[in-house]
Amino acid sequence: MAALELLSAEGFRPDGRRPAELRKLRARMGVFAQPDGSAYIEQGNTKALAVVYGPHEMRGPRSKALPDRALVNCQYSMATFSTGERKRRPHGDRKSSEMSLHLKQTFEAAILTELFPRSQIDIYVQILQADGGNYCACVNAATLAVIDAGIPLRDYVCASSAGLVEDAALADLSYLEEAAGGPQAALALLPTSGQMALLQLDSRLHEDRLGAVLEAAGGACRAVHAVLDRVVREHVRELTALLGD
Amino acid sequence: MEPGGAAMAAAGCCLRPFSCERGLLSRPDGSAAFVQGDTSVLAGLYGPAEVRGSKESPERATLEVLLRPKVGLPGVGERSREQLLRQTCEAVVLGALHPRTAITLVLQVLSDAGSLLSCCLNAACMGLLDAGLPLSALFCGVTCALDAQGAIVLDPTTRQEQEARAVLTFAIDSTEKKVLMATTRGSCSVEEMQQCLVAAQRAADTIFQFYRDSACRRYSKS
Amino acid sequence: MATAFKTVEPLEYYRRFLKENCRPDGRELGEFRATTVNIGSITTADGSALVKLGNTTVICGVKAEVAAPAVDSANKGYIVPNVELPSLCSTRFRSGPPGEEAQAASQFIADVIENSQIIAKEDLCIANGKLAWVLYCDIICLDYDGNILDASVFALLAALKNVQLPSVTINEETGLSEVNLKQKNPLVIRKHPVATSFAIFDDTLLIVDPTAEEEDLATGTVTVVTDEEDRLCSVHKPGGSPLTGAKLQDCITRAITRHKEVKKLIDKVTKSIKPN
Repeated sequence: MAALELLSAEGFRPDGRRPAELRKLRARMGVFAQPDGSAYIEQGNTKALAVVYGPHEMRGPRSKALPDRALVNCQYSMATFSTGERKRRPHGDRKSSEMSLHLKQTFEAAILTELFPRSQIDIYVQILQADGGNYCACVNAATLAVIDAGIPLRDYVCASSAGLVEDAALADLSYLEEAAGGPQAALALLPTSGQMALLQLDSRLHEDRLGAVLEAAGGACRAVHAVLDRVVREHVRELTALLGD
Repeated sequence: MEPGGAAMAAAGCCLRPFSCERGLLSRPDGSAAFVQGDTSVLAGLYGPAEVRGSKESPERATLEVLLRPKVGLPGVGERSREQLLRQTCEAVVLGALHPRTAITLVLQVLSDAGSLLSCCLNAACMGLLDAGLPLSALFCGVTCALDAQGAIVLDPTTRQEQEARAVLTFAIDSTEKKVLMATTRGSCSVEEMQQCLVAAQRAADTIFQFYRDSACRRYSKS
Repeated sequence: MATAFKTVEPLEYYRRFLKENCRPDGRELGEFRATTVNIGSITTADGSALVKLGNTTVICGVKAEVAAPAVDSANKGYIVPNVELPSLCSTRFRSGPPGEEAQAASQFIADVIENSQIIAKEDLCIANGKLAWVLYCDIICLDYDGNILDASVFALLAALKNVQLPSVTINEETGLSEVNLKQKNPLVIRKHPVATSFAIFDDTLLIVDPTAEEEDLATGTVTVVTDEEDRLCSVHKPGGSPLTGAKLQDCITRAITRHKEVKKLIDKVTKSIKPN
């Protein structure tokens, strides 16, 4: 049984993409009626749903309210049927808690929380189908949901993963490529200013190669930004048409 | 409407011997133990008492039901029964007379030999009476089992429940004999359900008479 | 003006509509919301369905695993349903362990599966006493706007119709199981249960398919589950205002009509999927 080549001799990945090419990205805003903002995103086979409630009064202990800004509360959850093997604990395990914390840190950097002191913004993300790039799909979906809710943001937050195979940097890794075990990084970028909200790299990587990986991730984030911007403008155009302007 | 008279007369239309003891616990505001055949349930009622902030309702009393099985920890089935009991009691208790309070009903299953849910309902009603809470009507629980031939067996034992094709439990109120709560297990036809309902309403008369006698006995002594 | 009245006196606001025999969203008292179903969207699950009942959105994913059957029923597999009402579907649900509504809904779905015999557990057996299928049915509510029980039962039925199980054979010599992923068989669905929920207003009026607001204002609810032979699989009336036998009969009649509509919808959707 031949091992699956992550990068063929001609420079194609197992799903037929070029190294710097993103998976097909489809997104929709305003999919649900109950929450203040909602969005659904499909990045290849990864399907993620994000929902935003807020800003609203603090739920839970009032002592946790911050006097000068809003509290951002994130929860990351994977559906039990989202992975190949049934996931027994959809939330509350360490990986989910870590992801929730990363999301919270990312969005605290992006949302203008000073405008809403003593209040709370809830961001809930649910993964319906996981095929690599879970965190990135969540961040992209959550950005759209926050925009749908009308909460002011500094900039779009676009995220993408990147990895390294035989000196070639790959952007937007699928599950197969992530499981292969090579170095991989996740980057959340604010595209206009080029500032990084979050960078995570959990494997050994020589510092000479870091530049290539970051560049691949950055390029992918900017491509994601272009798609998300188009989706938002479409959505606003539809809404204004409905309102009769 | 008098459907299936022959079927009813042939089947076991009588309930198992039941008895009730009230005021047997000293701590709760009201308590009752209801015994139906070999099934017995103990109910303890606390209230109207102070309620925690989040659960407070400014218009009516908040009712909470806790059902403890004989062995093991309460599971999903117990939670489902708690919801049934809670909403049944909420329909009869005049909660508007005691706003911003909490009424807690704790039921402990002492032995289970069939018809457990109806025994819990009867124990709950007796407990509410013993605590002196204002009620708009009394209610009682009746379980009917449909065996393989389609005959109706009232107040079935565990064996009869397992062999039955369908088991239906109804909570009937005392003023107009209307259905307060209904839950079924197994499948049955619509006509059979209506027949069981009529049989349950007839049996409810016996139980309400027993409530009256029990109250007379208790209050005539003192 | 109307919104102010609705916030201050929601029940009176509703009564004004009910007097004219209609509801604020324009429906009749006996009319259902638009129902749409989408089958097979989640490829990691063995079977999946997304159901939208008006705004209420429920997704059901079925995953199949193998396990040893129980000692006392050696030829039966397992079906394990679980209903999840996460905090994303509505502000009324807090994060943490499942609340009472989620647990009661899980128990209700388990009862419906048991009562209606939607799948015979014997069909899930692979090798008597050694290996059997376990179907984990996870129902997640994505948007809560009332009538969660109807949507969950519908999603479960659609997802089970979509399940394709790979064939498993036990190798005689080694005693190990061999899974053949290329050969997939659909499940045998024996009965098609459909749930219909009603809300009771002011002890007399019955409204079909309540929204979340209507459920909060209602004084009681009734859920009737029927199958295609017009038999009752479940009558679930968890307390609330008392009903006469005649009113209950009305509910059942309406439920039987609804069953035909839903069955037609499911058949249409199943036929439209190209078998792969």
